[in-house]
Amino acid sequence: MKNIFGIALGILAAIGGFVDIGDIVFNVEAGATFGYQLLWAVVIGVGGIITYAEMCGRVAAVSERAVFDAVRERLGFGVGFVALVSGQLVNLLTIAAEIGGIAIVLQLLSGLPYRALLVLAVIGLAIVLWLLPFGWIERLFGYGGLALLVFAVAAVKLNPDWGEVAHGFVPSTGSGSLAVYGYFVVGLIGAATIPYEVYFYSSGAVEERWRPKDLGMNKANAIIGYCLGGFLSFALMISAGALLLPHGISAEFLGTVALVAQAPLGEIGLLLALIGILFAVSGAAIDSGFSGAYNVAQFFGWEWGKYRKHAGAPQFTIAWFVMLVLGFLIVVTGVDPVLVTEVSVIFSVVALPLTYIPIFLVANDRAYMGRYRNGRLANAFGGFYLVVIAIIAVAAIPLMILSNMGQG
Amino acid sequence: MNVSDLLGLAVRTESGESLGHVHDVRAELGRRSLRVTGLVVGRLGVLERLGIGVPDASERLRGDDVVPWSAVVRADRRGVVVRDGTKPG
Amino acid sequence: MSDTTPIDLGLGILDHQLIDSEGRRCGKVDDLELEGGADSEPRVAAILTGPGAWRGRGRIGALLARLARGRTVRVPWSEVEGVEAGVRLRKPAAELRLGRGDRRAEAWIEKLPGASLE
Repeated sequence: MKNIFGIALGILAAIGGFVDIGDIVFNVEAGATFGYQLLWAVVIGVGGIITYAEMCGRVAAVSERAVFDAVRERLGFGVGFVALVSGQLVNLLTIAAEIGGIAIVLQLLSGLPYRALLVLAVIGLAIVLWLLPFGWIERLFGYGGLALLVFAVAAVKLNPDWGEVAHGFVPSTGSGSLAVYGYFVVGLIGAATIPYEVYFYSSGAVEERWRPKDLGMNKANAIIGYCLGGFLSFALMISAGALLLPHGISAEFLGTVALVAQAPLGEIGLLLALIGILFAVSGAAIDSGFSGAYNVAQFFGWEWGKYRKHAGAPQFTIAWFVMLVLGFLIVVTGVDPVLVTEVSVIFSVVALPLTYIPIFLVANDRAYMGRYRNGRLANAFGGFYLVVIAIIAVAAIPLMILSNMGQG
Repeated sequence: MNVSDLLGLAVRTESGESLGHVHDVRAELGRRSLRVTGLVVGRLGVLERLGIGVPDASERLRGDDVVPWSAVVRADRRGVVVRDGTKPG
Repeated sequence: MSDTTPIDLGLGILDHQLIDSEGRRCGKVDDLELEGGADSEPRVAAILTGPGAWRGRGRIGALLARLARGRTVRVPWSEVEGVEAGVRLRKPAAELRLGRGDRRAEAWIEKLPGASLE
């Protein structure tokens, strides 16, 4: 009974933690541009993260290694280092985007100037990370992120054509510019499969000492947690599609995202939306900061761990702090945070093969996994997604350019 | 010599027949020692460099593709030379 | 019959985590020093770890070794307790001159209030 409760709590925290600024921006913009036509792309993205999170969790439980331990062992020093650098650059852009998102929401809530709020955001994150034990942090931001469920209510309240919504789950080439449509397909899949999620999940599994007996929990966590996260993404896209598209409102500003909940539900909708975005994005900033620290600590063999006391994993502690500061420096230049968000997702798509191919290799390696190596199902899905990843990795930047970052 | 010097070296017989490259170094792990017993040799394509297609350790440990150290004539930065007639396996 | 197990150095030991006698992570196996081999099978004399040991790890390794001002720490193989997912050592990291980065950083961080918080 206690075990089920623990799993349920973990899943709740995961739902709130699944949606980050990339998911918010791309799902709402996709809804505003194409209505419900891109819901299938979210399904593909969620399937990808479930497949690979399950694989990472299994690798962690069986081989007791996190992703970057396995990357360096399997690919060697040179290729491993290239994977590390590209992973870190992507993590940095992600952190910058999340910090920018936090500042914007704070600005919508308080009216204070953006740059001051950037400073407040990064200081606030550092203080929270320094003072609170990680278990509390996870629960705080995970449950706070659940306020995003207001978008599910909004979606229903906006009374969309559910027949059209159902159609959106069937892959199509959409109406309108193919380049813009393709850009959103790439962005939606990329936002769902963003690398920091698997680095974080895998490191957490090692730290919590998962063993083969936990493989069932691993599967449950991955499937239920990310499915419910996908559900939140659907809510974002459907409500945006129902409200913004008919009025020709484009979603270039996070304020517009909040509007999507405000219009059908009033001030309480607006407040819940802003709180939900604030907590979800803050949680994502923390998770991606840790992912950066995990990767470098795991590559070089330093002590690491989110549950450790700070002095117990000193270089790791310095690393996440440095990642947060560097992310802050990127976004304090005044660059548009929505732009940073889109660029961070697109660049992460380009680097996705370097993230997911090593995981696939290790999950199949009998020496690491013994009888827990990938079965036919994991290999079918894993292989399918490697093909998807390869295609979107190649198409990402051309589509970004051709579609003028989705503006057409 | 370090292990890193051996990995990737070209392997040929005394009469010049190419057997591939050193994929790995086979050893015996004892309580207090680690003795090299042979070289895992094979063709080194692009995929192998990335670790793809390299027989995983449990397949290797059955003795396939291993050139015993006793067959090694010379091993230095220029490459590994083994006695004629040696075939990995 | 000897109670030895076969192992591949590249896949089974190289790049694996070093763990000291107290369970502390203290670097990776960056290279392995071999000795002998003229008349008999060579043996692994020592683990090499640290930026200096990256010199043999390809072009990227050589470049990083120079940038990081390559110090190499040599851990004789006799200090190895066992090889599982990581390589377990018989002594604490400090005695083997390992984990210097973390020890230096720890000295610095411990001065901050709240350093013993999680």
